[in-house]
Amino acid sequence: MTRPHPTHTHTHPHHGDHQHGKPLIRFEHASFLYPHGPALEDITLEIADGEFLGVIGPNGSGKTTMLRAILGLMPPSQGSLRIFDCACQELRCHHRAMIGYVPQKRSVDPYFPITVHEAVMMGRAGAIGLWRRAGRRDREIARHALEDVGMADYDGHPLGALSGGQQQRVFIARALAQHPQILLLDEPTTGIDTTTQHTVLELIQRLHEDLHLTVVLVSHDINLIAPLAERLALLKTRLYAVGPAKDILRKDILSQVYGPQILTTDQGHVIVADHHHS
Amino acid sequence: MTDFLTLGFLQRAIAAAALTGGLCSAIGVFVVLRGLAFIGAGTAHAAFAGVALAYLIGAPPMPLAIVFGLGTAWVTGLLEEQGRMKLDVSIGIFYTATMALAILFIGLMKSYNAEVYGYLFGSILSVTSEELQLTGVLAVLVVGLLGFFSKEFFFLAFDQEMAEASGVPARRFFFLLLTLIALTIVVSLKIVGAILVFALLLIPPATAYQLTSSLHRMMLYAVTIGVLVSIAGVLLSFQFDLPAGPAIVLLATGVFFLAVALSPKRAPKPALP
Ligand SMILES: Nc1ncnc2c1ncn2[C@@H]1O[C@H](COP(=O)(O)OP(=O)(O)OP(=O)(O)O)[C@@H](O)[C@H]1O
Ligand SMILES: [Mg+2]
Repeated sequence: MTRPHPTHTHTHPHHGDHQHGKPLIRFEHASFLYPHGPALEDITLEIADGEFLGVIGPNGSGKTTMLRAILGLMPPSQGSLRIFDCACQELRCHHRAMIGYVPQKRSVDPYFPITVHEAVMMGRAGAIGLWRRAGRRDREIARHALEDVGMADYDGHPLGALSGGQQQRVFIARALAQHPQILLLDEPTTGIDTTTQHTVLELIQRLHEDLHLTVVLVSHDINLIAPLAERLALLKTRLYAVGPAKDILRKDILSQVYGPQILTTDQGHVIVADHHHS
Repeated sequence: MTDFLTLGFLQRAIAAAALTGGLCSAIGVFVVLRGLAFIGAGTAHAAFAGVALAYLIGAPPMPLAIVFGLGTAWVTGLLEEQGRMKLDVSIGIFYTATMALAILFIGLMKSYNAEVYGYLFGSILSVTSEELQLTGVLAVLVVGLLGFFSKEFFFLAFDQEMAEASGVPARRFFFLLLTLIALTIVVSLKIVGAILVFALLLIPPATAYQLTSSLHRMMLYAVTIGVLVSIAGVLLSFQFDLPAGPAIVLLATGVFFLAVALSPKRAPKPALP
């Protein structure tokens, strides 16, 4: 049994018209270091319970680092980061189990012996806890999650035999199978065909609206996420701007991180200027 | 056939082979999937150095073998985790150092000690019932833990960071895995020897890897292959008066190549010119 798909597309604006709860994620002057230098500096940002935040910025701007920080995988070198009202250094396993994470696409060893079903069931591991084994309910949830990303027919397939985009859909299903409260997505639609991109984004949008899921979505495709996200955060090591898309997608703001070639059209689309025609 | 099976030492040897074969194969699945082969080799060498030291100073061999084996496994685990240096090089240096220690300890002994060499090459036909019991207890412990926490161990083998991110205490399980690897190697030393235990850890899982695309089936196949090959190896060695360790390992290697030839994973590849 599948949950009904909404028929509307996600192009209608709904910025700021959501009632959000207290902040669920709170960066306060937080900096994050790698051995080679800072990846994020002096970030102050609150993400409310039930919010949909889009994160944009050029390569190496610290987007992935921000998601890893929210998972508690990287403690801040300065400042603080609180999630579910505990310091990120103190995040326990049961907290992490409430955060679904779709990592930036990376290659899967094509011969690693794992089926699609086994991969999605891994999403249940944290939620089930150490002392219980996966039961029928967990298998149901995994099957649902696969249906949601349109991969139900591939249940028993070897993961390595799928295409890159199909694998990405399986990893989205794994995150959904966690029944998370916060969903972190790192460029979830790269490598996915246009139709499926829409299905996946619609699904995320629907979960966000129906289940009050907090979503942090990283994407390079500004035009794709602008209509979905209630707020956009513009990163380049520092947080340059955060707010509704109409306030962020302006030439004067975007050009600070993307350079002077970035333009916005009257329809609010972001394009890159072509030198040959200017 | 039936009357030689009634021989006490042979019964013990077969039981020991089956236990070690199953145990090494079960833990070996994670060694292969998590890419820890070098830790297996290094731990075996280090544990042997512990045995040599024990004989040199007249201490019981097991405790020192465990100390050396565990120490090596944990240190390599820490290095692996940090991922700062080129692991193969640093580990290579570390491991040859433990082997050099072992040779040094043996050299310092006043007289030739055949028992020490038993730990290097294995002496399955002279397994005592105490050693068999110890192996049995450990096999139950290791296989029990692997079975009970299978979802955690499999997740960790697939993607440790993702496991950690999803609420599995992956780092602790990683060190538990290293501990179980070290203990398995130490109890297998007497039975198959420091040189060949590594083969038993790798070959049955690598064979199973060829045959299936499911984690759970890989475990089942690996243990089955490990147990059967070990028993067959002991019987062969008894029948033809061969050393048991090499018989087991060469048999396993044969099965491995058979599996490679028949592997469904290799089937779709175009023929080589
Ligand atoms: N594992 C790592 N070790 C050391 N430095 C790293 C590591 N991961 C990222 N960095 C550095 O941190 C900075 C931010 O990287 P991050 O991956 O967060 O960028 P990003 O915005 O996700 O980039 P992209 O758009 O390419 O995915 C970069 O300068 C990068 O070099
Ligand atoms: Mg990134």
